[in-house]
Amino acid sequence: MSDKIKIEQQQYWRSLEARAAGGEVFDPVPDSAGHSSDNSWSRRSFLTLMGASMAMAGLASCRRPKERIIPYVQAPEEIVPGNPKQYATTMPFGNRSYGALVTTHEGRPTKIEGNPLHPSSLGAASAYMQASILDLYDPDRAGGVVHDGVDASWDYFVAHWKTLEEKFLANEGEGLAVLAEPFASPTLFRLKREFEKRFPRATWATWEPVSDENVVKGRKLASYTPSEDHRQVYRLDLAKVIVAVDSDFLLGEPESITMARGFASGRKVATENDEMNRLYVVESAHTVTGASADHRLRLKPSEIGPFLKALAVELKKQGLNLGDIPESHGFGEHSQSIAVMARDLMAAQGSAVILAGLHLSPEVHGLVALLNDVMAGEPIVRWVRGGSSSVADTSALGSFAADVSEGHIDTMVILSGNPVFDMPADVDFKRLLKNTRNTMHVSLHRNETAQECNWYLPKAHYLESWSDARAADSTYSVIQPTIEPLHGAKSEVELLSLMVSGTDKSSHEIVRDTFKWMMSSGDFEKSWQRVLHDGIVRLEPEGPGPRPNPNAAKSILENRVFARQVTEASNLEVIFTPSYSTYDGRFANNGWLQELPDPVTKLAWDNAALISPTTANEFDLVNGDIVTLALKGRSIEIPIWIVPGQADQTVILPLGYGRTQAGRVGSNVGVNTYELRTTDAMHFATGLSMTKTGRRRDDMANTQDHSSMEGRPIVREATLDEYKKHPEFAREMVEHPPLTSLWEEHDYSEGYQWGMAIDLNACIGCNACVVACQSENNIPVVGREQVQKGREMHWLRVDRYFNGEPENALMVHQPVACQHCENAPCEQVCPVAATVHDKEGLNTMVYNRCIGTRYCANNCPYKVRRFNFFNFTKDIPETTQMAQNPDVTVRSRGVMEKCTYCTQRINRARRDTKLAGAKLNDGDVVTACQQTCPTGAIVFGDINDPNSEVSKVKKRNRGYELLSELNVKPRTSFLAKIRNPNPELEES
Amino acid sequence: MAQFFPKWTNRLPLYVGLGVVLTAVGVVASVWYFGSPWYTDVGYQPVQPVAYSHKLHAGDLGLDCRYCHTNVERSAVASLPPTQTCMNCHKFILPESEKLAPVRASWESGQPIEWVRVHNLPDYAYFDHSAHVTAGVGCVSCHGNVARMEVVRQVEPLSMSWCLDCHRNPEPHLRPVEEVTNMTWSPRQDHDQFAKDHIEKMKLSPSTDCSRCHR
Repeated sequence: MSDKIKIEQQQYWRSLEARAAGGEVFDPVPDSAGHSSDNSWSRRSFLTLMGASMAMAGLASCRRPKERIIPYVQAPEEIVPGNPKQYATTMPFGNRSYGALVTTHEGRPTKIEGNPLHPSSLGAASAYMQASILDLYDPDRAGGVVHDGVDASWDYFVAHWKTLEEKFLANEGEGLAVLAEPFASPTLFRLKREFEKRFPRATWATWEPVSDENVVKGRKLASYTPSEDHRQVYRLDLAKVIVAVDSDFLLGEPESITMARGFASGRKVATENDEMNRLYVVESAHTVTGASADHRLRLKPSEIGPFLKALAVELKKQGLNLGDIPESHGFGEHSQSIAVMARDLMAAQGSAVILAGLHLSPEVHGLVALLNDVMAGEPIVRWVRGGSSSVADTSALGSFAADVSEGHIDTMVILSGNPVFDMPADVDFKRLLKNTRNTMHVSLHRNETAQECNWYLPKAHYLESWSDARAADSTYSVIQPTIEPLHGAKSEVELLSLMVSGTDKSSHEIVRDTFKWMMSSGDFEKSWQRVLHDGIVRLEPEGPGPRPNPNAAKSILENRVFARQVTEASNLEVIFTPSYSTYDGRFANNGWLQELPDPVTKLAWDNAALISPTTANEFDLVNGDIVTLALKGRSIEIPIWIVPGQADQTVILPLGYGRTQAGRVGSNVGVNTYELRTTDAMHFATGLSMTKTGRRRDDMANTQDHSSMEGRPIVREATLDEYKKHPEFAREMVEHPPLTSLWEEHDYSEGYQWGMAIDLNACIGCNACVVACQSENNIPVVGREQVQKGREMHWLRVDRYFNGEPENALMVHQPVACQHCENAPCEQVCPVAATVHDKEGLNTMVYNRCIGTRYCANNCPYKVRRFNFFNFTKDIPETTQMAQNPDVTVRSRGVMEKCTYCTQRINRARRDTKLAGAKLNDGDVVTACQQTCPTGAIVFGDINDPNSEVSKVKKRNRGYELLSELNVKPRTSFLAKIRNPNPELEES
Repeated sequence: MAQFFPKWTNRLPLYVGLGVVLTAVGVVASVWYFGSPWYTDVGYQPVQPVAYSHKLHAGDLGLDCRYCHTNVERSAVASLPPTQTCMNCHKFILPESEKLAPVRASWESGQPIEWVRVHNLPDYAYFDHSAHVTAGVGCVSCHGNVARMEVVRQVEPLSMSWCLDCHRNPEPHLRPVEEVTNMTWSPRQDHDQFAKDHIEKMKLSPSTDCSRCHR
């Protein structure tokens, strides 16, 4: 090898199996026949069907399809058929909210994007947000009000409520209870206050299985004013050193979009001389945040508290003003590393920040809040009042449950949520409901809870109803409908308003009332129109933020969570965590999210108990083995999945699977892990036992070994030090002779030439781009069986690689879609010229020419072409068809497809600027993936324009192209990943 | 010695001959059919739910196309007029007409009139009216002289080769932008020069890339 290659390609692997086999292990054709037994067709049934479809085809082709054009009777002024419009709204998510711009075609919402003005979405959208449009059109939502299993109507319910109301007005609400989810809505807040005024003796309980309850409690511990709810707002773009303590702040936690944007802005180095922030991650699970770490330490959950204490003590030793705190006994083998880390933090004092995971105890959050106050301060960490939001309260659940079980509650109104499914197992909510005479549930689906209630009231989706929300920094945003309720559903706001006012008002009126109430002065109509247009309005903050109390550190640190416990090796620890796909179960019936491979395990359509390779060895387990997990007398059976880099003796249990009444997509997918979760151990427990059952699941769909690229240097990374020494390392990694083409090459020097650059240093592997692409390009969902065969249709996949020893492996993510090669290998083998280049450098796919030979897919070195093995779109329910983008062809069986660089967006932008008499400017064409990327890792534009953003990014010295040694000249290029480890820690 | 070929092979030349003839007939028939207006639906003239006459409105009365097809200059679809557009005049003109009964019914009931699409492109072809009309391609180039049609019928094949003919050689089909809706406009003597200038002025470069229409 030449001496030019300074930095060796590191050994990357995708799965432990592949690592052991030293290459590719995925066989796309598992058995000789190529199809599994359950869809084997008998010859007779095949002939019958073929005969029938031939006959039908013959008949159908005789007639020209008669299409109808249906104009309006009275045309709405603002709608131009064919030209989509965007409306600003907000997606509520627990007591958080994310501003969105919703694209609607003739009054039919088709795509969700982030609202650039909203402080929590900054123009980007998470995978959950993108996919929520599919929930709107979910056919399983269909159906109206149900009373005791019989169809009823809203009016019937209103009449019923009126009779109850009389009773409760007389006894001040004795026996009336509301079980709600946390919210950030000023309207719900106002209605709740009115409710409490009207029914002073009624109960209001708040429940959400995954919430920021501990964070809020922690801040109260650390505050001078413990009665108030506060929240913290972070500006990570200003932070130089970040320590994430069991915190998946880049994806799994609230405000992850702003957090990721801030974090990435400190990572997108333009040259080797730029400064880069440093991320230390201490965690039990291997999370997406852990993948971006410069240093990663895996610890059992019980060691997280002691670690933080040791860090706090070390920081104080090094001069941090923390008040009087107790001594620590060090942290064993890691004491030295903690001292180095503390030195790094002290050196960056003023711009160092510690982030703690949502699930950690309130004491941990209290300590972290105090540490941040002295280490970061404003504006990196800002305290703001919780204002008109509500927080889940698990501690109040006990008395609520007691009230119900003793029969004190006569009428319970459950506003959203799914407590029968997701309440702690010891509460046994299903049994509790039987003690209540009247139970009413308003919910998107007739879920597990609705099945147990007397009344089911269909809830309007946030895209169908009016409401409002306050963002983390108290910005007010409006939730405005983009479509009439599809199933005559009503919103929580309307139900609550009926309860507090006794009149059936529309949500529009109610929300306007709130806005009037909030707006003390000014022209109301004008402000209202403004907020409808912008989606947000910055109202006066609710007074200055509270201050933390440094003297609280001592009492906080005395809590037992900070005490180091010696546990036996057989004593497993467990963490309950929301799934990256279904969250807490609310997205279980969403096909896009179910099929989205988990960014860490790459599992789709399933959850599993995640364990480390060492633990797997100890228990003699391989991927897919079913184990019995027992905790405090409860047990579940669940398959295991091995995650390199996870803490030993720790089991991670993703929540949100195993729903029984989710609908046609989500019912009976995965295992319900809530069955092990109890009130005293909501997030974390010790004393778990695991036993092998001897049975296994062989049908788990995992994409980690699909589309392997055979050990070539696909992902390129270096440390900041190496980068400084060899700025061109990424390009120098591959040595090849001068490249000459077999063909006369096309001239691409004229006109727009489209290209893309992806910064691996900014990519966090969050999958938002995958769902955005699916939504934009009508990509079908294929189901577990097809994914298992490697037939997933995602045009854009996010590859996940590990490197290093399995125990301490580090993770890297790389989004790969069609690279739009100028010398495209696919084009050279297509017998019918169905894939050809256009003059602007797009590798285009002409569906109507494709005959499905799949030669192109076989000849593609990047494995980015997707084949329609079946007519996946044929059986899409009518409502779900409404989610499809009319600007993109819906593909049929036997057709190849792949990333088009969003050619429909290029065409639209070109036309729009032409009609306006202008020329396309840089930034006029934004691809769906680029648009939604929280970190701005994807840049797209005209590479013929030297001043375009994409040209500038491509020129950076970290740039490289995948397999450029093949002379395929890809238009997509990557920027190599740089890690910034602490040199002091590297030496030790 | 046993016969090497079975007896039926005697008739093999006949079969082969028949096969050749049938194939030849098939080829001729296919070329004849697939190249004919029957295949491309030229002449398709469905019965519409309202006996609307373009001849009367656009021809005799001289209404501009854009009075009804309002979005032709700003959207991919020209769009059909809402019932309201009909009623603008027909509240007062022929308010009792038998022919207009479906329009009045629609206006009263709020149910739209379901017109039958005449010019139907495949779903994978994305034609954009605004791009063409604002570039100076007249309505008449694709739709024929609608002002003389009692019932609209398809006059051009709307096939891909027909599209490409114009995209490769747009000059004969261009006209001043203000004349696009003029059904009777005819090119002047110096049309070649006009077309050349027009293309330059409007920066027209009709694409023949697949991606321009298929996506």
